[in-house]
Amino acid sequence: MSITPIKAFTEHDTVSLTDDKKEQKYVHDVYQAIAPHFSQTRYKPWPVVEQFLNSLDIGSIGADIGCGNGKYLGINKNIYMVGSDRSSKLIEISVSRGHEGIICDALNLPFRSECFDFVISIAVIHHFTTFERRFAAIKELFRIARPGSYILIYVWALEQSNEARRKFDKEQQDVFVPWVIPADKNNQDKKEIIYNRYYHLFKKGELDELIESTGIAQIVKTDYDKDNWYVIARKEGSENEIDKK
Amino acid sequence: MRLVVHNMLQCHVKGCNSNNFPLRLFDVELEIHEIEFNPQFLQSLLPKLDWNAFISTANQIGITSLPQTLPEEIDEDFLKNLHRILFETHIMQGKMVCSNCSHEYPIKEGIPNMLLNEEEAEEEAEVEAEAEED
Repeated sequence: MSITPIKAFTEHDTVSLTDDKKEQKYVHDVYQAIAPHFSQTRYKPWPVVEQFLNSLDIGSIGADIGCGNGKYLGINKNIYMVGSDRSSKLIEISVSRGHEGIICDALNLPFRSECFDFVISIAVIHHFTTFERRFAAIKELFRIARPGSYILIYVWALEQSNEARRKFDKEQQDVFVPWVIPADKNNQDKKEIIYNRYYHLFKKGELDELIESTGIAQIVKTDYDKDNWYVIARKEGSENEIDKK
Repeated sequence: MRLVVHNMLQCHVKGCNSNNFPLRLFDVELEIHEIEFNPQFLQSLLPKLDWNAFISTANQIGITSLPQTLPEEIDEDFLKNLHRILFETHIMQGKMVCSNCSHEYPIKEGIPNMLLNEEEAEEEAEVEAEAEED
C-alpha cells in the first residue's frame, strides 16, 4: 500500500478558526460525512482493549467515550456499556446494532460524577486541537469514573512503526491525516473524495503526563501498541466495597 | 435508551449543578425489546443504580410495580420484573427535562441528544485558565 501523504496542520489552513471551529471542520463534519465507510473499516477489536473489557467484574457499568460505531460495546456480555460520540451518524450505526448510544461532546459529558465502574476512550483525545482541550477531555473521563476504578485511553503515536501505512514527520505533531473514500464507494458523483482529519500525534510519555497532571490518577500500565500509545490509569480514592464480589 | 442509562444522566448546562438529576421524562413512547435474562449480572449491577432516581423515573412513565426501597431478600420474580423494566424497556421518543434549569434534551429513535449550544456549555478551556490565575 502506498504511503499516504500527511500535511502539517499549519496556521495558513486554519488562521481564522477558533479551536472548536477547527474541530467542527476537521473532525466533526468529516466523521459525519465518512461515517458509513469509516464504520465498515472499524470492526476488529484491538486485543488490549478486548482484554481490558473481559477482565472487568460481572455487573460492571462503563462508558466508551467516542465509541464510534460501537465496536467495543458488545464485547463482554457480563458488563453493561454506554457509548457516547459527537457524531450522530456513527451513534445511529452503533444503536442499529443494538447498543446504547448518546450524542454528546467529550469536553462536557452529560453523566453524573463517579457513576461508572470503568471508562474507555479509544482514539479520541488526539482530535482535540489544544493542550487545554485535551486536558479537559481527560478530566471528564476521570470525573465520571468511580474512585478506585480503571480508565483506558488510546491515542495515535507520533512514532510510527515501519509497517505503518503512514509516515509522520517527527517534528510535526499537529497534522491532517487524509481519509479517502474511493470512487466506487461514493454514491453521489462516483469520484474519489479526500477528507482531511485533524490529529494531534502524541509523543512518548505525553499521554502519561497529561493524565498525571489531573492529580487524581495513578498510571498502572503504559505501552505502545500498533502505532498508538495507551495508558491504563486508576482513579484515586478507595475502592467501593461493592466492586469486589 | 434504557432506564439504566437514564440513571447515569444529568443536566450539564453551564451553572446547573444542583437538582440536575434525574432528568424528568415527558411525552415518552416506549418499546419492549426482549433480551436474555442474566440474573447474576443483574444482581451485581443493582447496587450501581441510584434506586430512588430509578423508582421516581419509572413512576413517571407509568411503571409502578417496583418497591420504593430495595428489598433485603431479592428473589427471581423480583429480578425478572426488574430485567423487563431496566433492560427490555426502551424509550424510543420523548424528552428529558431538567428540574433545575428546565433545559430539554430530545430522545429520537432511541437516541438521546445531549449536545448543548455554545452559551449553554461549560467553557472548559476558560475554566482552566481562570483556575490558573487564582
